[in-house]
Amino acid sequence: IILSDKHVSFSDVCTHCSGIFIPHSVSMQHVEQKVNKAKKADKKQRRCLAIIKSDCNVCASDVPTLYLAVLNVGLSNGLTEETLLATAANTGGQVSQVLMLPSKSYCFLVCASLKDAELVYRGMHNLATIGQQGAVAYLSYVTQLPKETEESGWQKQLPSGLILLPNFISVEEEAVLLNAVGDGDAGAVRTEDTLKHRHVKHFGYEFLYGSNNVDPMQPLLEQPIPSACDFLWPRLDNTELPKILTPDQLTVNAYEPGQGIPPHVDTHSAFVGPILSLSLQSDVVMDFRRNNELVHVLLPRRSLLIMSGESRYDWTHGIKPKHIDVLATASGSLTTQARSKRTSLTFRRLRRGPCDCQFPTLCDTRQTAVPQALTEALATHASNLEQQNVHEVYDKIADHFSDTRHTPWPQVADFLNSFDASSVVLDVGCGNGKYLGCNPQLLSIGCDRSMGLLGVSNGRGQSVFRCDCLQLPVRSASMDGCISIAVIHHLASTERRLAAIREMARVLRPGGRALIYVWAKDQRKNDRKSAYLRQNKAVNKERTTEQAQRQKLAQQLEGIELEQQQQMQVPLPVHTNRTEFQQQDVYVPWKTKDEQRTTFLRYYHVFEEQELEQLVSQLPEVVLLRSYYDQGNHCVIFERK
Amino acid sequence: MKLSTYNFLTSMAIKGVKVGYPLKLTITKQNVVESEFNPVFIEKLLPKLDWAALYGAAQVAECAEDIPPAQPDNIADNEALLQKLHHLLFEIDVLEGQLECPETGRVFPITDGIPNMLLNEDEV
Repeated sequence: IILSDKHVSFSDVCTHCSGIFIPHSVSMQHVEQKVNKAKKADKKQRRCLAIIKSDCNVCASDVPTLYLAVLNVGLSNGLTEETLLATAANTGGQVSQVLMLPSKSYCFLVCASLKDAELVYRGMHNLATIGQQGAVAYLSYVTQLPKETEESGWQKQLPSGLILLPNFISVEEEAVLLNAVGDGDAGAVRTEDTLKHRHVKHFGYEFLYGSNNVDPMQPLLEQPIPSACDFLWPRLDNTELPKILTPDQLTVNAYEPGQGIPPHVDTHSAFVGPILSLSLQSDVVMDFRRNNELVHVLLPRRSLLIMSGESRYDWTHGIKPKHIDVLATASGSLTTQARSKRTSLTFRRLRRGPCDCQFPTLCDTRQTAVPQALTEALATHASNLEQQNVHEVYDKIADHFSDTRHTPWPQVADFLNSFDASSVVLDVGCGNGKYLGCNPQLLSIGCDRSMGLLGVSNGRGQSVFRCDCLQLPVRSASMDGCISIAVIHHLASTERRLAAIREMARVLRPGGRALIYVWAKDQRKNDRKSAYLRQNKAVNKERTTEQAQRQKLAQQLEGIELEQQQQMQVPLPVHTNRTEFQQQDVYVPWKTKDEQRTTFLRYYHVFEEQELEQLVSQLPEVVLLRSYYDQGNHCVIFERK
Repeated sequence: MKLSTYNFLTSMAIKGVKVGYPLKLTITKQNVVESEFNPVFIEKLLPKLDWAALYGAAQVAECAEDIPPAQPDNIADNEALLQKLHHLLFEIDVLEGQLECPETGRVFPITDGIPNMLLNEDEV
């Protein structure tokens, strides 16, 4: 690898001693230091080049090219596209494309000409301290950009159905609208745990962020869409535009610079298309995504964006929380532009029924519908499905699974502590045995299907045996207590779930009590998210949305290997972890921690409210003592008569 | 497998089996794990156990001379017997062996201390 510019001349500015008189010998010493620094840079640069060669097969070029690798700094150590572009612009060189790679400590620039590339190289190599804690950038010409990376989101066609009408309103009309919707904080609706990053206000109907929907039965009679907006609608009566029904819901978002909105799709069943968005006070860049496709769209101040067809139903849209936008110039190069306060008016029309679109991936109506054939397939294949998508999976993931299950849930511990000393308690589906030692005053015995998990609990000195929860090899009426935590939601038919409860009732002595936990379909209670949903940090911090995560998973699953596709004996939907459940019968992926990152699909039947109580009520030999909701689980305690 | 666990196990889930209890125990390898003796715990536990199965297990585990064939009265006062029961129920750990259904002869192996009571679908 040959590098230009590595010679150090005496005219180089020494950052340590400029402006101060220094004896010649000391100055020489500094020159030596500079030479050492350059050597160090060479070494570091070679190491970085080896990384990009192995990561993405990109080779350094001996001669200047349009492509520059920017090494030692990248998204992984805090470099932003804006900082990079601003620094490159200071060199006088024109940049036409930036390639920031997620969680990498390098990035790439494409320059407008060789002359520009040389200017950027000279101006930045071993000089630009743009990484975290002053990490310096090393530049190198490379022969090409990495393949299989996202293309620039600029030189692209707009998503189908997306229409941008610049200068849709005048400056005067903008002022009238701002006044009508009441800018500023006064009256702004703020909801706990949802909108950390912007102010919103609703007219016509309130948009409920918990359910991402509106309640058509609860119009905001005191706050209809202001009549000042009425002048907009005749302008949309144009044969070149899709048919637009007069909106009945308006959401006003006020964004300070630095604020954004995570990628989302407007809930299909909540609103018909098209959706209208009017930008006031400032330009902003909106990102449209579908799978790997990314299209940046500059929304100029006073423009109207019409999202119809594919762009409304099959693409997510969002605004990155940034102070500075990266924009494409007319010549095709990139530049930056500071944001100022922006207000957007989103006009929508309620749907009042199921969605009938042709785009299933992001469609809540389609994703929540359960075909009759699927229910039948489940009942027919219940036992095979459990074997393949429950038992075999738990055996394969036993150690890793066990590592993630250590803290007893407090209300389960309370139940175990409610028994007299010397009581005998059976844990049906004991897993790694975390509840078996919970109350040492009891004789606790555990059982499970998984040999892997039984090995863990047996190794800890717990008493366990192997069986299926549908046939407990335990004498009748012998147990004082029974617990079954997160087990029967793995059974694939109502009959089997009921049979498992019946077995627990059988082994209880008269007066004996059982506690059952199952996963709830509804992961919120009283607008509080369950512990499971609270783990979704990216959504909770509004960096993304559940919809965008589902879209990503759908795409990953398309790429999944055939061997794993065959895991899907019954074609159930695959749940996106740490999001709300869309259906009751789903595969929940478990990704191993090893290098292969193999994904296993576990079958779950998540319970609706009252479903567990309803099962218990079918057993005349028991009486329901209590039912409750605990961190995303439905729970019952019953007593044997 | 502790012999306290053994006391609760049956093969009654097998199709056609009426009682399936007690299972015929065979021990090929056992270990003794010392554990803290709590006489009150053992005394209170006894009503929940089946004495005949307990006595049978004592014979297989070669502790038979310590345990009477029928449960004596006033056992609370007999700390020596409670100590022996503690040893039998909680200190003997069956590592290898088997359990056999008394009615069908179906064998359930005990491997690495874990009895495998899982039945095939066609057995239930």
